[in-house]
Amino acid sequence: MDAPSTVISARRLAKEFRHWGKRLRALDAVDLEVRSGEVFGLLGANGAGKTTLMKILLGLTKPTEGEARVRGRDPRAASSRTRIGYLPEGHRFPGYLTGAAALRLFGRLAGLPEPTLDRRTPDLLELVGLADRARDRVGHYSKGMTQRLGLACALLDEPNVLFLDEPTDGVDPVGRRQIRDILLATRTSGTTIFINSHLLSEVERTCDRVAILHRGRVIREGTVEGLTRPTRRFRLRLAAGELPPTERLREIGAAVVNSNGSVEVEVPDLEALNRLVDTLRAERLLIAEISPLRAALEDVFVEVVGEEDRAADPEGHASGPRPEVGPEGGT
Amino acid sequence: MKTWALIVDTWREALAHYTLLGFLLVSTLFLLTLTFALNLDIVDGSLAAGTLFGKALEFHHGNRPIDTVVVTGQSVFAGMLYVLGVFLAVFATGSQVPNLQRRGTVDLYVTRPITRTHLLLGRFLGAMTLVIVNLLFLCGGVFLVISLKTKVWNPRFLVAMGLIMVVFLSFLGFMYLVGVLSSSTPLSIMLPYALYMVSMPLAAHDHIAAAMDSRFWANVVHGLYWVLPKTAEVGRDLTAYVLGRTTPTLMPLATTAAFGAVCLAAAVVIFNRKSF
Repeated sequence: MDAPSTVISARRLAKEFRHWGKRLRALDAVDLEVRSGEVFGLLGANGAGKTTLMKILLGLTKPTEGEARVRGRDPRAASSRTRIGYLPEGHRFPGYLTGAAALRLFGRLAGLPEPTLDRRTPDLLELVGLADRARDRVGHYSKGMTQRLGLACALLDEPNVLFLDEPTDGVDPVGRRQIRDILLATRTSGTTIFINSHLLSEVERTCDRVAILHRGRVIREGTVEGLTRPTRRFRLRLAAGELPPTERLREIGAAVVNSNGSVEVEVPDLEALNRLVDTLRAERLLIAEISPLRAALEDVFVEVVGEEDRAADPEGHASGPRPEVGPEGGT
Repeated sequence: MKTWALIVDTWREALAHYTLLGFLLVSTLFLLTLTFALNLDIVDGSLAAGTLFGKALEFHHGNRPIDTVVVTGQSVFAGMLYVLGVFLAVFATGSQVPNLQRRGTVDLYVTRPITRTHLLLGRFLGAMTLVIVNLLFLCGGVFLVISLKTKVWNPRFLVAMGLIMVVFLSFLGFMYLVGVLSSSTPLSIMLPYALYMVSMPLAAHDHIAAAMDSRFWANVVHGLYWVLPKTAEVGRDLTAYVLGRTTPTLMPLATTAAFGAVCLAAAVVIFNRKSF
């Protein structure tokens, strides 16, 4: 039984694909819970099984074992998909539709009444920056524009659960920021957001909680804050023009890395950090900044995946990336 | 609303691929030719003379009653349309299911709060309306032009359109099954054509079975005859009906329709169970 605030849940979820006689276990006993109003990020390398998991949660793919629930209902039931938004990876709108016509078509299929469509269509096109291209055929859109139209389509029926598969794929940096702002605004209205991505910096900025999926299994799960724990490393910058005396710092036991006008120091404990400050002050150096450094999500991801690979293959005979096999070629 | 959206989507797709415009253009040219280039002189209820593009038509059997000429002409036209119309309609609608099932597109449709059955049948309905309108335009136009020119009104010609539609819908059901299974436009077009070719000679299934060495293969031929659409019989009945010689027999029509219905039902079941 799911907790009352659980919106998305997966229990012992497994999916096995068969492709020309070969079997590939894309998901293996995945347990997952996403709570109401949370922004949840699913991380993983290509072929880790992220898209397969999302497709099962949306009823596009049937699991081989286990159970998926969205708002407590089987996602394969059509009625359970009301007010669920989905931005698929590599989506292709029919090229003969204009941007506005595409939104109207999928809005009608979502059961939205015409007056709502009349209001939502221009609003969403404006929101994603496509108002001036609303009458152009989607076939003439760039990848970034198609991605933004996909996001508008996902937001059509004011979803309370939003699934996004690589939402910033092919989008320029300005567009990425726009998408991030839209997602943060959507989140404030209480929408639960489930994001698949391998752009870890994006996930780090957007998500509350993440899970790392590797070879079809969840190998780490936690809050972004918890996973990107503070390290014993600090950024040290002196007042303008002064360079930290790296030799002196090494003498007192700090590991030092030069970094573009400042240095990163690694100390065993706070006592050592304070000794370091005392030393600098004794030499009358003016400290402009000492800030703790956190492990980036990328570092955590690489470390966790590396540990998993080493545990699975202690001899180091890893066979490289797995082939991507799914119902239509992806996992 | 959802069904309407799917029908409109089907029409948009047909318009974008110029299949609808192409069909309408060819039909319009044909109708304009009939209207302006064909002139018939009718004297005392018989066709006395006629011109096509100003050139005199030759009649080897002397003056014939105009109603016989019209009904014969309509029967020939219905027979032509039976073959050509079904072929064109299959060609015009063959990409529907493969386009729907295209990776990246199917996700957008199937994740809406609409059942997969509704989605597929909505597209089917769209294709049906598309072909009905095309047939109505061409056959209705021919009927009106000929009838107005000759004052001979043969409503059996319009009923023949209904028979053509039944056969086309049967093939459309088969096409949907092939499309759902293969996601391939070429296969969705070629296999119905192959089915048409195979089903034609099966009208002589008794003769074919008699020529078989083994009882097993004879039974296979009979089985195929009963299962597949009765294209030859329906075509024969259709032309004979327009001529006023007979009413269409139920069995060929019913089994043809049943074949399409079973194929469509199988397509719906498979589409519902499919992982994308």
